Amino acid sequence: MKLRSSLIGLALALTLLASCAGGDRGKTITVLNWGSEAEAKVWSELAADFGAKTGIKVNIETAEWDVYWEKINTLYAANTPPEVFAMDAPLFLDWYSRDALLPLDPYIKKDQGLVNGLFPEALAAYKTDKGYFGLPRDFQTIVLFYNKAMFDQAKLPYPKDSWTWDDLRAAAKKLTLRDSAGKITQWGFSPDLWDIEPFMSSLVWSYGGDIISADHKKTLIGDKLEPWQLVWDMIHVDKSIPDQDTQTQYGNDMFRAGKAAMISIGHWSVPEYTDAGIDWAVAPMPKGPAGRATSVNSAGFVMAKNCKNPEAGWKWISFVLSEEGQTKLASLNFAVPARKSVAQSQAFLENPAKVDNKLFIDALAYAHLKPIFVGYDAWSTAFGDNLAAIYDPTKTAAGVVKAAVDAADRALAGSK
Amino acid sequence: MNKGNPSRRARLASALGSGATYILLLLGLIVFAGPFLWMLATSFKIPAEQFSKSLLPHPFTLVNYERLFTSARFLWLQVFNSFQVSILSTIGQILSCSMAAFVLSLYRFRGRALLFALILAGLVIPAQVTLIPNFILFSKLGLVGTKVPLWITSFLGGAFGTFLLRQYFSALPGELAEAARVDGASLPRIFFTIYLPMAKPALAGLAILTFTGSWNELTRPLIYLPSNQRLTTLTVGLSLYQAQYAGQWSFLMACAVVSVLPILLIFLVAQRRIIEGSAITGLK
Amino acid sequence: MEARLKPRGSDRLWVLLFLIPSLFGVALGGVGSSAVSILLSFTDWNNVSPPHWVGLANYIASLKDSQFLEAVSTTLRFTIVYVPLCLVTALSAALLLNRRLPGQGFFRAAFFFPSLTSAVAVALVFSWIYAKDGGLLNRALGLVGIPPITWMGSKTIFWAVTIANVWGAVGEGMIVFLAALQAVPSLYYEAARIDGAGSLRRFFKITLPLISPAIFFQIVIYTVNALQAFEYIYMLARRQQGASEMTTAVYLIYRNGFRWFNMGLASTEAVLLALVIVIFMVLYFRAEKRFVYYE
Repeated sequence: MKLRSSLIGLALALTLLASCAGGDRGKTITVLNWGSEAEAKVWSELAADFGAKTGIKVNIETAEWDVYWEKINTLYAANTPPEVFAMDAPLFLDWYSRDALLPLDPYIKKDQGLVNGLFPEALAAYKTDKGYFGLPRDFQTIVLFYNKAMFDQAKLPYPKDSWTWDDLRAAAKKLTLRDSAGKITQWGFSPDLWDIEPFMSSLVWSYGGDIISADHKKTLIGDKLEPWQLVWDMIHVDKSIPDQDTQTQYGNDMFRAGKAAMISIGHWSVPEYTDAGIDWAVAPMPKGPAGRATSVNSAGFVMAKNCKNPEAGWKWISFVLSEEGQTKLASLNFAVPARKSVAQSQAFLENPAKVDNKLFIDALAYAHLKPIFVGYDAWSTAFGDNLAAIYDPTKTAAGVVKAAVDAADRALAGSK
Repeated sequence: MNKGNPSRRARLASALGSGATYILLLLGLIVFAGPFLWMLATSFKIPAEQFSKSLLPHPFTLVNYERLFTSARFLWLQVFNSFQVSILSTIGQILSCSMAAFVLSLYRFRGRALLFALILAGLVIPAQVTLIPNFILFSKLGLVGTKVPLWITSFLGGAFGTFLLRQYFSALPGELAEAARVDGASLPRIFFTIYLPMAKPALAGLAILTFTGSWNELTRPLIYLPSNQRLTTLTVGLSLYQAQYAGQWSFLMACAVVSVLPILLIFLVAQRRIIEGSAITGLK
Repeated sequence: MEARLKPRGSDRLWVLLFLIPSLFGVALGGVGSSAVSILLSFTDWNNVSPPHWVGLANYIASLKDSQFLEAVSTTLRFTIVYVPLCLVTALSAALLLNRRLPGQGFFRAAFFFPSLTSAVAVALVFSWIYAKDGGLLNRALGLVGIPPITWMGSKTIFWAVTIANVWGAVGEGMIVFLAALQAVPSLYYEAARIDGAGSLRRFFKITLPLISPAIFFQIVIYTVNALQAFEYIYMLARRQQGASEMTTAVYLIYRNGFRWFNMGLASTEAVLLALVIVIFMVLYFRAEKRFVYYE
């Protein structure tokens, strides 16, 4: 009796489970990411795995960062918002405040184990006073990339842990080469000077400065002049940092173009640099007078409020955040997985591509969170646009930074 | 006719004038055709040579054009999309503007002056004022993310086209219409068989203007189709490639060549008509 | 013909049908859109949640916003340079081509063709021409010993973008002027020559007045285009060194409305820009009465 009823119970349970899973089978969800072709490939592979496992078809769409947000907005306007789309942590609050996102707490409650294993730094970015409206999928820390071949050619030792910014400056000078006509053919260092994440925030923090006030009403990034003077000197005196015009000419990433010996940037460039055939390696960010600092930022997934298949969308998120999904992501060497166990696993740390992933994780020890606040986009655009004048030799570092900070403050005042 | 020195001096002056003119024309040629030649030349260079000193490709290669079928495989679709939108827009404008212009110029009815004034008011209203309201309307209709918004508004008349064609129709004799009506022809018959054919020059002008305007447009395609590579127009596609393949100049120039080629071919075939048509729009 | 036919019978229906597209056009395009834009300019709307009324807040904010004021001033500066430059170049080219020399058709086609191609393609080519290292311009300058100039730098980007813009716009004006020039009866010139008038005199006293309608037409077209400049700025100046110095009004409207989805503010800016255009038009039509000579 007991055996039969429990067998029937088991059979019933199985059919119920099967129909649950079957209920999603054949569904399609749309997942949006920003990124390059290399990154798109990563996601397609993951989508294929997911599809094989759950029967849910994932329509992965990738767009360049430039137009990514416009694309999302267009989809909202057409009332066909994607189930899941990638979110950059600093912009998260902007979207949350627009009431455009689906709260994730109800799903998380049913899936407790999922959230517990994630890096708390990454998780913190997506928590609001109404709960979680997004979850991190990976995080980025900024490190120093260098071109080993160029260092070898100049007979210089590779960047060390003990490096300070002065050491970097000296090396960059020696790595800036000219041809017989005096034209520069190789630059020492080519950081991005528009968005604060790849270089500027880390620089300012290492001098003991800060980016923005805690109440997000005042821009503090320009308070210390020394770091900016260093940049200005490297551009105009040493000429080891190329100007924007040159950078644009070479596609905005001179390190990838093989024209610069060093760059400070995040893990996202790893697939690109490998594809480009650069013989690169990484080192921790050089120390400033106040110590070593770097920036940590995470990318996550959010769900759109009025999407068609939220249940299926959540399945994707939990897949990407699961051990299996994170391991696959990690093996594609795209970013540092948000799941601790995967990030600290042998497979990640001793990956076949020989990327020094441990360095990226260790950087967490001295990393500051990239600022997150409503109006971040407008603020960083105002700052970046106006900082571009630093490439002008007739302007002083102090003048440029002041103008940029003023513009940034005005943008802050403008956002409600 | 005068003979002797004054005439010779005059001829000399005229020859010098012609010489100077030719020099200036040649300079102008360098200025206006130079960039296209440069674009062409770069597109035949191998990537490693794109910054080389020589103007001509050394070696000459087609690798950038081959790449068009892989890295820029949507470029051809985008050319097609641009064609589709431009042709539809042109048809739309020609039909709707000429229909309104015909009726406004030939028939008396109440509110005629007011309607014409309202249509003309559109001349003063700049495009960006209509941008957002139209976007809202199309999003309510679920048409954002499609090509439809780009051409459908052309079927709703236009200030410039209606104005141009009304001026033209007004200069045509009205007796033909009267006579045709006496014979029992309906209004559309009179329009399509008699008056529309007579308006060919003005129609050609409007067609050119509309086609090139639509072909070259960036703002609206950018708003409705910002990143759907399959559906978007050539202009948006090029801007996307500019971002995606930044720094790969020889390849980007090949893309640019492809985008200019269709217009060049049309121009070579219909040059006279195009130039006459453009001139007409200014003269009226 | 003067409108002389009274619609009879089925005519009435057809008149209406023929007008319906334009009626819709007026509602959607001209009058209707303006009304909606004005309405929107009094709201705050982010495209996701419903709009809410803020009265004149957007207007006050815009008129105090230095970014907007700067965009307007950049647009005006651009217009003041672009329009005369286009006119002078187009007119000069037309005068040059009006001499009926052999091969004229070829030159005319070559000068006109750039204005047919899209601003996007032109801007792409120009961004290559302006490139610091391998660009055509710097290479040409290098031949005469001038060191490479950073064309897209904050000092020069205004001129770089303007020149590219003018380059692409001269052709259409040139054709209009050419047609106008060729429509001037040669009688006038011969009479003037007999009277002993020099070529400069002939130009100012005969040519200019007789082609003034065409000049007026082109000034209006060029001005409206300049005040709405967007394509070249988008292609050449976004994320460029001088980007902040080259934000025009429409670029700002686009960014506010479709990048940051601040539709209310974008509508306000659009309305304000429309006002500027209307002011220009009023001034132009006043000037037309004084300066343009119609036969």
